[in-house]
Amino acid sequence: MIQRTIYLVAFTLLFAACKEEEKVTSWTYSETISLKAINPIGLTSTEQGIWLSDGDRNRLVLVDGDGKVVQAFDSLDRPMHIASKDNSIYVPTYGNDKILKIDGDRVQEIVIPDSLDAPAGVDIRGNEMAIADFYNHRVLYSTDGKDFLSVGKQGKKDGEFYYPTDVQITDDAIWVADAYNNRVQIFDKSGKFVKIIGAEARMNAATGIYVTEKELMVTDFESERVLVFDHDGNMKQELRKGVTKPTDVLIYKGDLYIANYRNGSMVIYKRN
Amino acid sequence: MKKLIAILMIAFAGLATMQAQGGMDKFQVQVDGLGCPFCAYGLEKKFKEFKGIKDVAIDIETGDFTFSYPAEKALSLEAVEKQVEKAGYTPIAGGVTRSDGTIEALHGKKNQVATKSAKTVSGKTMVSGNCSMCQARIEKAAMDQVGVLDASWDKNTKILELQYDETMTSVEAVEEAIARVGHDTEHHKAHKEAYENLPGCCQYERIESKKPQR
Repeated sequence: MIQRTIYLVAFTLLFAACKEEEKVTSWTYSETISLKAINPIGLTSTEQGIWLSDGDRNRLVLVDGDGKVVQAFDSLDRPMHIASKDNSIYVPTYGNDKILKIDGDRVQEIVIPDSLDAPAGVDIRGNEMAIADFYNHRVLYSTDGKDFLSVGKQGKKDGEFYYPTDVQITDDAIWVADAYNNRVQIFDKSGKFVKIIGAEARMNAATGIYVTEKELMVTDFESERVLVFDHDGNMKQELRKGVTKPTDVLIYKGDLYIANYRNGSMVIYKRN
Repeated sequence: MKKLIAILMIAFAGLATMQAQGGMDKFQVQVDGLGCPFCAYGLEKKFKEFKGIKDVAIDIETGDFTFSYPAEKALSLEAVEKQVEKAGYTPIAGGVTRSDGTIEALHGKKNQVATKSAKTVSGKTMVSGNCSMCQARIEKAAMDQVGVLDASWDKNTKILELQYDETMTSVEAVEEAIARVGHDTEHHKAHKEAYENLPGCCQYERIESKKPQR
């Protein structure tokens, strides 16, 4: 009887170990594109291709498939997490507290009624706009680009921020990379806190996010990985290969692009 | 003749530039809490309030922050320290080389009381940490203890080597001070809050102490 119990326990443990190894992985490393003299912070795409904000060099660049710069906008004061809509690019310039809209060769400043202190991320969805306001430890959200709702304050509790760096608007929510609380927070569009994702993942600086219909990707800057969660907060995958000091993620033409700040590169993962 | 005038004007302009450059104070501060470009740009942004600042350079790996500032404005180290804190970070060490060659150190030399004597002994202990910023924080916490003459932490071996006056302090007292700033030592574990307040890059993998905590 004791022997049977031992076998049963051993079998159960073995089965559990096998199950751990069989963890579902949906993204596979494909390639690393070297970016010469670019230390990317943010990623977005237009019909022209992939745009990167190069904070160290105060510019926005469009790169080709080999990582070569094909177009650049200079003299932007520390551009950070960028967004795009209808081929226009929206750029938060962290160094001078502005949100710029770049449309062709035209650069236009978007007037924000409330003063920003180091905007680190912006997102646009239809007429909606959200801004991660780094030093004010809050997110600004607007449905018309004129009146803004201020969400959150400095702190570590639910609904509070400690240096937010990126933001994304989805159908019914606002997702925020709460960088130095090492988590992602989700709010409804009235600014009400909904939930936290990633609190148990031991992230060190959750700097950039990208949300799809089913997944949330988060860059874990200091731990040099990208984590993939489902919308219930279950971690599905940890991407480490080729990832060094990641700052942003983007899905472009079905592939997952990761911006590596430290060594100036982009990593591409393909879905299995 | 025109050529001569042009050459003289260029030479004069060059001389004026050299003199202007010579009139700059050079600051170097090691900043605790920098870990990413957001932090570095944030520090730079807050220092833009100092009109006339030049040659700003920030190394996010080491926390080294350097800049030049016009000597006639006599920017004090206290003002620099306050501005670093306003940006959300902690100045650990550093100083300024004034344009006349005078050197001033941040915080001053805190440990003037101890001098090398027959009472000076060596000691070592293990301290958890990851990076150069950890090193600066650990060594500062040790050196701030009255009686410590020298402190040197190796980020690879995690060993802290000390020279101290045994009539004034002990390895255990130094360990306690280091734990208070967030670093686990051989016999003292840092409080959770102190650990969580460390910058991301400094949050080392915590392990349970094999020895009982004192």
